[in-house]
Amino acid sequence: MSPGPVTRWEAGLKVTGQAVFAAETPAPGLLYAVLVEAPVGCGTVLAVDAAQARRTPGFADLISYPEAQGLKPSSVTALIREPTIHFAGQPVALVVAENLAAAQAAARAVRVEAEARPAIAALGQALDQAYTPATAGRNPAESRRGDAARALAEAHLVVRRRYETAVNNHHPMEPHAVVCCWEGDRVTVHTSTQAVFGARAAIAHAFGLPAEDARVVSRFLGGGFGCKGQLWWPWMMQAMLAARRTGRPVRLELTRAQLFTLAGRRSETVQELAVGLDADGRLTAIDHQVLAQTSTHGEYADTTAGVSRWLYACPNVTTRHRLVRTNEPQPIPMRAPGTAPGTFALESALDEAAAALGIDPVDLRVRNHGDHDQEAGRPWSSKRLLECYRVGAERFGWAHRPAAGAAGDGRWRLGSGMASTFYAQHLQPSRARVRLAADASLVVQCGTQDMGNGAYTALGQMAAEALGVPMSRVTVELGDTLLPQGPISAGSQVTVSISPAVAMATAELRAILAQLAVADQASPLAGQRPEDLDFADGLVRSRTGNVAEPLADLLARQAPAGLEAEGSADLPQVQTHSFMSHGAVFVEVGVDPDLGEVRVRRVCAAFAAGRIVNPLLATSQYVGGLIGGIGMALHERTVTDLASGRILGDNFADYLIPVHADMPTFDIALVHEDDTHLPGGIKGVGMLGTAGVQAAIANAIFDAVGRRVRRLPIRIEDILGHPDPRDGFETLT
Amino acid sequence: MSDDGRIALSLTLNGRALDVETPACATLLDLLRDRLGLTGVKKGCDMGACGACTVLMGGRRIKSCLALAAACDGGAITTIEGIGTLDDLHPLQAAFIRHDALQCGYCTPGQILSGIALLAETPKDLAAIREGMSGNLCRCGAYPNIVAAIAEVAGL
Repeated sequence: MSPGPVTRWEAGLKVTGQAVFAAETPAPGLLYAVLVEAPVGCGTVLAVDAAQARRTPGFADLISYPEAQGLKPSSVTALIREPTIHFAGQPVALVVAENLAAAQAAARAVRVEAEARPAIAALGQALDQAYTPATAGRNPAESRRGDAARALAEAHLVVRRRYETAVNNHHPMEPHAVVCCWEGDRVTVHTSTQAVFGARAAIAHAFGLPAEDARVVSRFLGGGFGCKGQLWWPWMMQAMLAARRTGRPVRLELTRAQLFTLAGRRSETVQELAVGLDADGRLTAIDHQVLAQTSTHGEYADTTAGVSRWLYACPNVTTRHRLVRTNEPQPIPMRAPGTAPGTFALESALDEAAAALGIDPVDLRVRNHGDHDQEAGRPWSSKRLLECYRVGAERFGWAHRPAAGAAGDGRWRLGSGMASTFYAQHLQPSRARVRLAADASLVVQCGTQDMGNGAYTALGQMAAEALGVPMSRVTVELGDTLLPQGPISAGSQVTVSISPAVAMATAELRAILAQLAVADQASPLAGQRPEDLDFADGLVRSRTGNVAEPLADLLARQAPAGLEAEGSADLPQVQTHSFMSHGAVFVEVGVDPDLGEVRVRRVCAAFAAGRIVNPLLATSQYVGGLIGGIGMALHERTVTDLASGRILGDNFADYLIPVHADMPTFDIALVHEDDTHLPGGIKGVGMLGTAGVQAAIANAIFDAVGRRVRRLPIRIEDILGHPDPRDGFETLT
Repeated sequence: MSDDGRIALSLTLNGRALDVETPACATLLDLLRDRLGLTGVKKGCDMGACGACTVLMGGRRIKSCLALAAACDGGAITTIEGIGTLDDLHPLQAAFIRHDALQCGYCTPGQILSGIALLAETPKDLAAIREGMSGNLCRCGAYPNIVAAIAEVAGL
């Protein structure tokens, strides 16, 4: 009987409610913290009057700017040290009290005096102040290869369009939380963060501590998607200040409304895109100009136009990212940063081009396949995008789909659309420790985090497979700075980054065990060559002779105290290849032309992302990403009130995210891909599913009802309103 | 009500009788999660929109953040801690593991409790499960696997 798929390692703890998240950390004598928000959206705090708050029952302490002056200045501590109000909802103080209700009452009693200045509440209010930042994500903000302007002037077909995407918020189901406790000058911080070591470094710097005096723990993380990083740390530190001053543990939990302002956002984009093609549908030029929002206190830009640099072969490409500073919350990476809004633009434009040229959209993409990374001038480490098109199209039934506008089902018009997706692969240095006990049970340790991405399972599986130990005998420990330093949980980098460290540690254990076995006269393996030994099914066995013995027997005799090894992996010094994962997303939608309602009915996607460590969990990641992409395409939009600068409808009743009833059927194809240039042949899967699907949906809507929508999220009014008069094509001939 | 505004309650909590005092304004969520340490009850939005705090009261699912604790006097409440243990999982908990119906796990207790109550309502097809589960949000995107797990236990 086959053992079946390896299920999620920590699933039992999660389905029984035993997985302890940060806010649930037991702490005797706990004080509860509540943030006091600024009364204006731009200005300066003149005074924080806590006199009345101090008289409320249960009040324990208040932290505001004066109390934070002992922290070292940095970009993390600026918001709690400097009384400048950058955005509506920015906290100006933190109150702690004996229980949550008392803290809320005390916070309401705090009087904040502020000098207000006019706020820039929207990108459109300061277009004249747009500037080009030094970088967009980890890439240059501008790029140029060939001469796009000239190629556009000479192109057979030019599709020149504006695409707009809305502000989105991450909204992990677990709000950010901290429970912190000082013992003398040492502090333990239980917090929901995607980077325990990053949090520790920030804490050590701010509080002037040796790093080893701060311990950061994040064993279970109720989602992150990019928002559980440095933007949370100022408020976490305010709670830490209160804990130190009161000598008691303090808990702070963000409210759902605060996740709209304090935890980051996907910036809105306005993208001016021009693509030029020849009569055969080959791209001759791309000009991709991106305008996005950043805050007045920080700077971040997604690499939104990266899609135009990397996804297709094209000799002439110009891209540029510009930012506008507004008095709104700070953007940070969110689920498929850059590629989600970027593919929406380019993959929508290519659909228009395909229609204008009478070329099948899949065929158009095949004709423009990039066989190497033209931007960097490097070969791909692996790229099976063509196979994704083939497999995805076949499973979707693309070749047999009805003609545009021809299919219906009751009140629904049906349409099909497709798009490509990709995500750049990056690596981080990582360490890992593997400990084998005398009973052949295994403990794997790494200071990375599991936010639902399957890190517990992947790490356990890699060590278990290398040593031939069943998963039921494996314990995985993550999310603690007492463990060997691991990667941050971001950018689909964890599994590939920890892979070489685990491989090194397990290889060392195998070598030690093999030597012990062949030298042990009590072992049936005595006298074998160590390099001929194999580890599988709980046995050490010879690949050349018919002898084996249980690993536990060998350990009991030769290593009764157990064995331990640590592995580490640094980044390669020279990058000879470009690393990218790819996919093709096919979507069927139903559109009610009278009501403007859009339903995604069917999603079929094929992804090529190296070696898949766990097909069950990888499929869950892809489906989860696609659902996030459906949210971006049809539901999610964070709106700032232009008068007050506050977020409108900062709750789950008004900010719509996909629910069970919105679900289409999913068919996910894992396309096999060998990659000999990445550790373990592994690529990330988390981000890949979140991009591409937006454009596929928009293209399917066009196929259903002939309406091009170039703005996300696509709402009823976009389907029912007047057609865009700019629709149509510029053609040279 | 006592002089300091606290109210005495008698509950049956996960099958056990319990007498407890609560502030008059406390929600059932805060009573369970903070006072009684039943942290399998999650706080996701605190305004009845996400379902992470779902518990069963008399076998029916309710959002514990919308229930005043004081109004639950005499009620029989079941949280995820009363559903099954690692060694003795409820069939729906086991199905969640098999179908990988969770990722981060924060919405999971609410999804399972909501699913158990929905099973008692005998949904007739997958669409009915999707509709009946739409009060429980999941941001990781485990929805299809959650529905598959419930459908399997429902025999659909």
